[in-house]
Amino acid sequence: MAEFQIRSDAVDVEQIMRQIRARIREKRGADYTEQEIRELASVKLEKFLDPRGVRSNLVEDFRRNRVVSPEPKTVGIGDVDVLGSPRAALRTIRRLLNPILRLFFSPTPLVHAVNSLTKEQNAINLEFHRRFRQREEMDPLYYEVIHNLVVELTRLSIENNNLKMRVESLSSRMDFDERRARALESVVQYKPAPRPGHVERPQAEKPQADRQPSDRAQADRPQGERPQADTPAADPQRAGLEPRDQGERGERRRRRRRRRRPGQNLANGTPGVQGPESSVQGQGEGNQDDGPDDDGPDDNANDSMTDDQSSSPQPAGSPTGQPPTEGSNE
Amino acid sequence: MKIAIVVQRYGADINGGAELHARYIAERLARHAEVQVFTTCARDYVSWKNELPAGEETINGIKVLRFPVNAPRNPDDFGRKSAIVFERTHSVADELAWLKSEGPTSKALIRHIGRVRDEIDFFVFFSARYYHAWHGVRAVADKAVLVPTAEREPSIGASIFGPIFRGVRAIMYNSLEERAMIQALANNRQVPGVVVGVGSNIPDRVQPWRAKRKFNLKRPYAFYIGRIDENKGCGELFEYFIRYSTMYPDGLDLVLAGSTVLPIPKHPRIKHLGFVSDEDKFDTLGGADFLVMPSPYESLSMVALEAWALGRPVLANGRCDVLRGQAIRSNAGLYYEDFDEFAETMYALEAAGPLNQVLGRNGRDFFKRHYAWPVIERKYMEVFERLKKEPATAKLEPLPGWFARRKATIPPSAGVVGAAPKGPVLR
Repeated sequence: MAEFQIRSDAVDVEQIMRQIRARIREKRGADYTEQEIRELASVKLEKFLDPRGVRSNLVEDFRRNRVVSPEPKTVGIGDVDVLGSPRAALRTIRRLLNPILRLFFSPTPLVHAVNSLTKEQNAINLEFHRRFRQREEMDPLYYEVIHNLVVELTRLSIENNNLKMRVESLSSRMDFDERRARALESVVQYKPAPRPGHVERPQAEKPQADRQPSDRAQADRPQGERPQADTPAADPQRAGLEPRDQGERGERRRRRRRRRRPGQNLANGTPGVQGPESSVQGQGEGNQDDGPDDDGPDDNANDSMTDDQSSSPQPAGSPTGQPPTEGSNE
Repeated sequence: MKIAIVVQRYGADINGGAELHARYIAERLARHAEVQVFTTCARDYVSWKNELPAGEETINGIKVLRFPVNAPRNPDDFGRKSAIVFERTHSVADELAWLKSEGPTSKALIRHIGRVRDEIDFFVFFSARYYHAWHGVRAVADKAVLVPTAEREPSIGASIFGPIFRGVRAIMYNSLEERAMIQALANNRQVPGVVVGVGSNIPDRVQPWRAKRKFNLKRPYAFYIGRIDENKGCGELFEYFIRYSTMYPDGLDLVLAGSTVLPIPKHPRIKHLGFVSDEDKFDTLGGADFLVMPSPYESLSMVALEAWALGRPVLANGRCDVLRGQAIRSNAGLYYEDFDEFAETMYALEAAGPLNQVLGRNGRDFFKRHYAWPVIERKYMEVFERLKKEPATAKLEPLPGWFARRKATIPPSAGVVGAAPKGPVLR
């Protein structure tokens, strides 16, 4: 955290607060408010749901809460005495006045009409109830079908979501792999295809710089004193070479020795260290040539002199004027 | 001159902000006038239970008359009525019912004020939001001086307070922000108003080493004094401090002093001293790197003033307009509104940093300039002298009639306060 620079006693708190806020903005990188950060933090991470885990008890709830509609009531006025009344006096008066009433209209057809209408209404109610009951019996089936559809749809939706997330994950992994592959390609230089008759040097032959002191001591000894079996190159089987390869290599060594001039060191005589990957080539190929078991006692002096130099990259077009392909082929 | 201080609670051991403020003012004004205190028998500000004996008592040379509270507060009823007034469109009757429910409902106190109105020159009412102040001002408006101690919280937006703010003879504000808020809510610019605040009884000498030894404070610390309560911002303070302590393992400790309402998290760098004496408080404050004031609602922080008086900077909650305004005007404190600002300002205010000394010095100057007792006393006495010369002209607006009082046309008070201009007053 940076210190404040107070140049005088006349500090300005507002100015200090502005500095503090500016620094917070710099640190955050983006000008999120505390509220925004809280909102971001409170967002639940989306997780993979198991579509098989979708269960619903809606049908059970429906069954539990299902109410069967009651039987319809049958209504009817029957043989109602339209002149009747709980009060005896009133009944008497009505009965007395009944003849006068009948002078004006006859109530009997009205009573019949109401009765027949009531009967029809009851029949309609029964029919309606029958159909309603049928509908009610069908409802659970529909409900179950809809429920199953919803559950399936939910499962499919979750599965779809999961698949989308998986695709995104795979896509990002693939992007990463591609980038990685490109990065590796830009670092690694492929060697040119070997010429006919050329044999790759086996992995077992390490560069001299990597050797252990004991190996180096062995390399300094005259060839006759070396325990041949201990060196991988001495044992064709261990070096992974065929006897025929050994013969070819012997010829190449002789050719190379002929080419060298007295006093010319190996590093100078090791071409093929040009280009951007020169350090890689310089280390690997220069040292491959300098293997003590390959060069024999006559080259030891040169080897020991050039140990350090061989590891350093050489500029293109070495002083020896050797063609760059030669070292790299080795 | 005879002055009566009317306050909801009073006592040498009662340390609520407004109550302590009232006691300090009473004791200081007693040097210039005949002062007596009218208060209730309550000790607890939540229940208003009658815990102290009614009648006369003398505290630090001041005559104190206590009156019983009619009924303790019913928290459920108060909560319900608060919700109606704060959050719904309501009526004046709702607000009056809320005020009664809030308490401390002491009709004897109000009757006494009416009885002695001719014997007293001025009644100084503390805490506008309570029953005693509202009814007391209505009883003696022409002699009433109000110390609102109003915070930016919904109750102050209730419509019944408008006539009170417009009808008193003078208002002694605690801060510029409080004055701006009340003037915006009540439109009472014509009422004489002075920003006074309150001083504090700062000891001449503090002994930080004594407190450090007593409380085993070996590491540098930020100090909080006051009720440890969610409403005081302590929950947020704990959350921020715990995050800060993980970010800065060698940073400051947090030392707390005061009664606890909120449980204090168990943390090796949070230390609670409990309720401490004034001597311990000042000694601990003197040894602190700075004072932290996390409360989002303050009309005036006395401990902040005490910290400044001792040359200690203050780290305040920037959402509290008053504290923020004071920090800016005094150039003696920093403020925070979120965790990042909290962590940065904690770091910036460490005693080893360059800011601490400068801000502390500014704080001491600010305190001397505005809150030294001679300044406070002079401001009060000037107001009384002025009011004595000027006749009372403003009349208290009457309450609406029976039907009008029951018309639900008043907007929610929380919305009213929310719409009032906010932010620190910088001049």
